Amino acid sequence: MEYFTTELLTLLFAALRSATPVLAVVLGEAMTQRSGVINLGVEGQMLLGAMTGFAVASVTGDPWLGVMAACFAGIALSMVHAILVLGCGANQIASGVAVLVLGSGLSAYYGTPFVGDKIDTLGNLNHTFVSDIPLLGQFLGPITPTVLLTLLAIPVISIFLFRTRTGLRWRSTGESQDITRNLGHNPMHYQLAAIAFGGLMSGFAGAALAVDYTANWVEGMTAGRGLVAVGLVIVARWNPWYALPAALLFGASEALNLKLQSWGVNISPYLLATLPYMIPLSVLMLSYRGLKASGGGMPAGLRVVFQNAR
Amino acid sequence: MKKVIRTLLATSILAISVQAAAETKVGFIYVGPKSDYGYNYAQEQGRLYLEEHMDDVETVYFENIPENADVQRVMERMVRSGVEVVFPTSYGYLDHALKVAEKYPDVHFAHSGGLKTSDNLMTYFAEIDQAMYLAGVAAGLTTGTNQLGFIAAHPIPQVLRNINAFTRGAQSVNPEVTTSVIWTSSWSDPTREAEAAEALISGGADVLTGHVDSPINYVQVAERRGVYSVGYHADASQFAPKGWLVGAIWNWGPMMVNIVNSAKDGSWKSEHLRGDLLTEAAKLSDFGSAVSEEDQQTVLDRREAIMNEELQVWAGPVFGQDGKVIVKEGDTMTLEETEKMDFLVQGVQGRLK
Repeated sequence: MEYFTTELLTLLFAALRSATPVLAVVLGEAMTQRSGVINLGVEGQMLLGAMTGFAVASVTGDPWLGVMAACFAGIALSMVHAILVLGCGANQIASGVAVLVLGSGLSAYYGTPFVGDKIDTLGNLNHTFVSDIPLLGQFLGPITPTVLLTLLAIPVISIFLFRTRTGLRWRSTGESQDITRNLGHNPMHYQLAAIAFGGLMSGFAGAALAVDYTANWVEGMTAGRGLVAVGLVIVARWNPWYALPAALLFGASEALNLKLQSWGVNISPYLLATLPYMIPLSVLMLSYRGLKASGGGMPAGLRVVFQNAR
Repeated sequence: MKKVIRTLLATSILAISVQAAAETKVGFIYVGPKSDYGYNYAQEQGRLYLEEHMDDVETVYFENIPENADVQRVMERMVRSGVEVVFPTSYGYLDHALKVAEKYPDVHFAHSGGLKTSDNLMTYFAEIDQAMYLAGVAAGLTTGTNQLGFIAAHPIPQVLRNINAFTRGAQSVNPEVTTSVIWTSSWSDPTREAEAAEALISGGADVLTGHVDSPINYVQVAERRGVYSVGYHADASQFAPKGWLVGAIWNWGPMMVNIVNSAKDGSWKSEHLRGDLLTEAAKLSDFGSAVSEEDQQTVLDRREAIMNEELQVWAGPVFGQDGKVIVKEGDTMTLEETEKMDFLVQGVQGRLK
């Protein structure tokens, strides 16, 4: 029984670790989409954040400076999307893809000299009061600051979005720009802030990967997690609270894939490798039954994006 | 002249040609970034060695070229720009290289790791599984839990050879040892590799090794969790000052010089050129402080035995996972057989397909 509990808790915390970078992106992208803008470039912003964070941590020797630099890099690249979409009225899908390619190209080009560098990590909760908690201590100990910060972001974002006046206007912009405009506000301001916030979160997610989780920079290291996060925004129904279970779903399937192999379970590794994509997809399909009419919580403003893309 | 070609693709493709008083142009194609601190990094070190040690050679390289028809176009472009010796360095380039080689009979091709040749296409590789066997010996002597962990990318013969050689090396000094394999289904996915390392450690493994592009990820996790690690491709000892045992690493330079020379002086042979511990194309890295003097000597004695052919990594009996005899006592696997390996040996936990 104790073995079972231990393994289950190990799996849960492994899921949380794997889910954290994705969760950060889901939160950021959900906020962006709440203002009626979709940004597929988050993957590129993540990569640029990961590279910048790693490079700054390597040069300055301070991982926290690296995290901050990563956030700024994410914001800076997201501004390309903002200029194209808000400034030039470009197609959002095409602009997002352009940002994605730009981010992965820039990070590959400027990241090369830093490959194989050794950086200090952000540390973890080991040797704090947490490690004294019976049973849970050994699992909470390895938790790193980016995990905690990302979890903390959930209530902060949802209070902002659902309990403040600015949050209300943010949401109304996503439903209909005309409403915001009629209230005497410029919807573009909210959309600009929303894109920047998405940039910040994806840059942070990149730092969580490169500075905190692996302490390593490798070209293309996000391996599609940013795009997975864009998909998970739909599973989370644009709600910061649902973002946690949605990201955990991905994290848990990822952890389960590896855990089942380490247990020696007799299932094909090819089949197991599809878990992180199959499980969220299945949940999406199941949860959408009966939700078709309401669009599953999609901001009405986003429809315009897809109609224009057609 | 330095020209940088950036494509619109997600991956950046870089071509740099360095001007010199060049007579022979040599081209390299890498499947990943040359800075991966792993397989491609090792091949790139070979290219740099070539530049440094041969005066009349000019090199060109392309990174991030996928293993599909794209690589044929890259090779054609190289050939048309005057490249006389092409090194398609990835396993999956072989059939494409054969096609291009047929079209340009005057150009020499040296493919890394393949098992087919044509008139102007040879293959080169090194029996790094010898080094992995020795690393296994070090692991078998060091482990306290008798559980080793192996983080593997894809079940191709080269990877299986390393898993099996590592396990057989460990078993030769410690019959209780088992190796758990986790497949990451990717040559490079740092996050998944780190998480796989965590899973192996929490499952009881206390020595980790792997066959993915870069050893840095699992070596760092092992160090953080206080277990030992064995490197692959490149020396990652600086990432594990406490837990580093040893690593199996490449040294392509001298071999590439020989290949280019043979193309220039006409002694080129259409063959499977294989380096080993003796020719130093595959090497054992320096030992970490975690390996005792006595254990180091044991490993070095085995190395001596492999180099003077007293010890064969693939000498029978070799048992499969289910205990069936694959190689009988007295038999030894041939080069072709080891390079087509499609099984895991007894003591390995993990599924192939």
